Amino acid sequence: MKTKSDKFSSVLRVLLPAALTVAIAIPASAQMGGGGQSTQSPPLSQVERKNRAPISKEVLQPKLPKPSETTLPNGLTVLILEDHRLPMVNVQFQINGSGGLCEPSSTPGLAGFTAQMLREGTATRTSKQIAEDVDRLGASFGANATFSAMNTGVNASGLSENFDQWMPIVADVLLHPSFPASELDNLKQRTKASLQAQRGNAAFLALERFNKAVYGNFPAATMTTTVETLDALKPEALAQWHHDHYLPQNTILAISGDVQTAALLPKLRQWFDEWQKTDVKPVFPASPSPATARKVFLVDRPNSVQTNLYMGNIAIDRRSPDYYAMNVLNRILGGSAAARLFMNLRENKGYTYGAYSSFAAVSYAGPWNANSEVRTDVTDGAMTEFLVELNRIRDEKVPTTELEEAKRSIVASFALSLESPQSIMSYAITRKIFGFPEDYWDKYPAQIMAVTADDVQRVGQKYINPATMQIVAVGDGTKIKSVMEKYGPVELYTTEGKPVAAKSATPGSN
Amino acid sequence: MGRMKLAVVFCMSACLLAGVLAIQPRPVVAADGGRPPAATAATVHIPIQQTTLKNGLKVIFSEDHTAPTYSIVVEYNVGSRNERPGRTGFAHLFEHMMFQGSENVGKGEMNMLVTNNGGGMNGTTDKDRTVYYETLPSNQLDLGLFMESDRMRALAITQPNLDNQRNAVQEERRLRVDNQPYGKTFEKIDEVAYDNPAYKHSVIGSMADLNAASLEDVIGFFKTYYAPNNAILILVGDFNHDEALAKITKSFGDIPRGPAPPAVDMTEPAQTGERTATIEDPLARLTRLDIAYKVVPGNTPDWYALDVLGDILMSGQSSRLFQEFVKDKQIATGVGGGPGQDRGPALFGIGAGLRPGKDPAELEKGILADIEKVKTDGVTQAELEKTIIRDRVNHYSGIQGTLGRGFAIGEAAVNFNDPELINKVDDIYAKVTPADVKRVAQKYLTDNNRTVIITVPKPAAPAAGNQ
Repeated sequence: MKTKSDKFSSVLRVLLPAALTVAIAIPASAQMGGGGQSTQSPPLSQVERKNRAPISKEVLQPKLPKPSETTLPNGLTVLILEDHRLPMVNVQFQINGSGGLCEPSSTPGLAGFTAQMLREGTATRTSKQIAEDVDRLGASFGANATFSAMNTGVNASGLSENFDQWMPIVADVLLHPSFPASELDNLKQRTKASLQAQRGNAAFLALERFNKAVYGNFPAATMTTTVETLDALKPEALAQWHHDHYLPQNTILAISGDVQTAALLPKLRQWFDEWQKTDVKPVFPASPSPATARKVFLVDRPNSVQTNLYMGNIAIDRRSPDYYAMNVLNRILGGSAAARLFMNLRENKGYTYGAYSSFAAVSYAGPWNANSEVRTDVTDGAMTEFLVELNRIRDEKVPTTELEEAKRSIVASFALSLESPQSIMSYAITRKIFGFPEDYWDKYPAQIMAVTADDVQRVGQKYINPATMQIVAVGDGTKIKSVMEKYGPVELYTTEGKPVAAKSATPGSN
Repeated sequence: MGRMKLAVVFCMSACLLAGVLAIQPRPVVAADGGRPPAATAATVHIPIQQTTLKNGLKVIFSEDHTAPTYSIVVEYNVGSRNERPGRTGFAHLFEHMMFQGSENVGKGEMNMLVTNNGGGMNGTTDKDRTVYYETLPSNQLDLGLFMESDRMRALAITQPNLDNQRNAVQEERRLRVDNQPYGKTFEKIDEVAYDNPAYKHSVIGSMADLNAASLEDVIGFFKTYYAPNNAILILVGDFNHDEALAKITKSFGDIPRGPAPPAVDMTEPAQTGERTATIEDPLARLTRLDIAYKVVPGNTPDWYALDVLGDILMSGQSSRLFQEFVKDKQIATGVGGGPGQDRGPALFGIGAGLRPGKDPAELEKGILADIEKVKTDGVTQAELEKTIIRDRVNHYSGIQGTLGRGFAIGEAAVNFNDPELINKVDDIYAKVTPADVKRVAQKYLTDNNRTVIITVPKPAAPAAGNQ
């Protein structure tokens, strides 16, 4: 669906790619919580329950469709989920071990540029021919490898009626990219403009600083290349990275849509047969450690009318046994517009359009975070309410009703998500990547339902610690520096990401 | 539908869109006929049944039993075009009030009930209409109907709710407009290009007008625009038509009809000269160029040809403007646009970001030269076919879930009084010819009909040490 406004905003997306992808994480749906009525006493629920709406007590029983799984002779794992409701096919490659997290620190951006350059030329097609062919067939193609990812993701989709025409182009760009020097230079110039543009975006600046604060020396601390590091990237290095790290034995190919499995498999063998396997296996990185002392990072962005607040610390990886309890905790704390942070900061206090929490559980321990954008003059009040809610989830057991509703909402939304082939595929991919047992998702609802109020409080006390969390504020430094100093020692930065020496740290002055 | 455009969009509650999409349930869609080879369409037909209750509420059903879920979409025929002077932003502020409780549903209870049952919900307001929606498991049909009928019948309108939601909306404005690079650019385009107040102001409205909104305004707006005869209910998914109709009649049938709301004059005087404006943006880092031509309303023959033209110029990496200005000449960072699908006179927009140090006048001149080339040489059959296949893909992607189908049916129903448009749009696009595209370029993309807005970064006063 396009709209004039969508089209305009797609221009902005082109202008500010990183900025918009970092926008606020808004997890699925959620659960109800209480909001803050005062900062003194524990806040009561802001929801007025009239209990007159008719509700079926019967909970939808998830039937978990499973994609078929085949391993090709070269080690490529193929997942196929047939779905004939629309004449469309979605294709996704997860190439483990080729993401930014795996690249040498001497060449930041190598993995990301390799992914972006795939469509810019192959042994037999120019960049323009690829663009023409993809558009002529009504297909779409995208590839990316972020600094924080173990893998490169390659996505393509299009009509089933000409799948046999567009899929070989996908195979061609994946297997035979030629990394033409002129196209690499072209991409570098575009990227330089984007790097400049995104520094105007407050959400980008907040996430950039937050990642640096919580990850420290861990590679995921980086979000983008810089003008200097990008200039150092050479076509030969990209080709070598592709050769060494795009490997079939480490790749999952997930196909869903209007395909016939039996007919498709021989074609896949034909298209990907020449892809040679090796002995290389990616290893999960050691996790970063949480910060141990609270610190405030203030990005002075003149002319701001809001403060972007973003706080958190390293918590769990995806294999952690605490994953289920964290999921429930997050749903209660800030996982939706019905959760505590939203009900307090927006519905009760009127400080913001939204306030949320989320957590990143990936191949290494990632951070939990709580965030909001608040008008400048309530920065202090918003910080107070964040602390109220973060302390409350640690200090008090979650009331039974709130807990049971949170669990029910997670399980029910999981059930509804199974209607989408893309969701089913992403569950299957998660299971494969982390080596979870065959019945992992069958047991998932029961695991969520088994979480107790004690579990939630335990993980709250273990991970959600206001005393050690890192706090980022992006806004008008002249107005919020003294406010933020109340919450910890302040490190001041410019929107260019440069630290401002303590001596001259008088924001806004000339 | 591919081009049924789900316009602007200020989401009520915190934009649960991500949540809603994550739950995106099943398409239905009978693929009729075999699968013809190559570019011939495999027709996708969406079943549609319509009825009108005695109180004027239009009800549209699209059954789909492939998954145990449904979406309910309620479209009210009111948008920012209906706002009176001094109350810009009111239609959207009112949308927020619809989530603050009603006679039998408490404040916050609706959101709680939907999320506890695994569903998603939200609302959006654009220039033409206001939409409310939920996706739920099919065994919770009564719940969705109860909540939607309760707030149509008896909304809880209180001063504390209004004050709180005014705050939320003003923060939404700061978030999306005042604290965003280029945030004000989009307001400026409409302000300069339009003469008629209906489309001249933004959906979000001005801070002063939001401050001026009173409880009496809310009560009056509810009476005027939220009567059943000014609404359309769309139900898509797993239900039985007769049973659902009986339930809807029971829940909504006794809500009294209201007087017809006043008609809005949408006529736009012909533009007689190019309009230009330059704005300084202290938050932007790079210059941006926007060009807009005043064109026809959506769902008109010329509109479809203009949409195809927009795609040929700007859609995909093989498009003319992308190849020329982003790839070859390296003047622009990106380019996009096309005609908005509005009920009234739309704008055909072209937006592009400038590379550092590049001159917007050079880019403007280049784009205008390309438009002239379309007027003299036309477009190729191959370019046309490319956009038609892309339209089909967009169409299918848009109707994949019950919610997307509900939006597409609802938008066509409320804006163009044609819920079946979803089943016709592929054919409409397929009939556009290169001659049509050339003709509409000549007719609408003229010097006198153009508005050009240039947004330049305003250097900030040097802050905190170095910049």
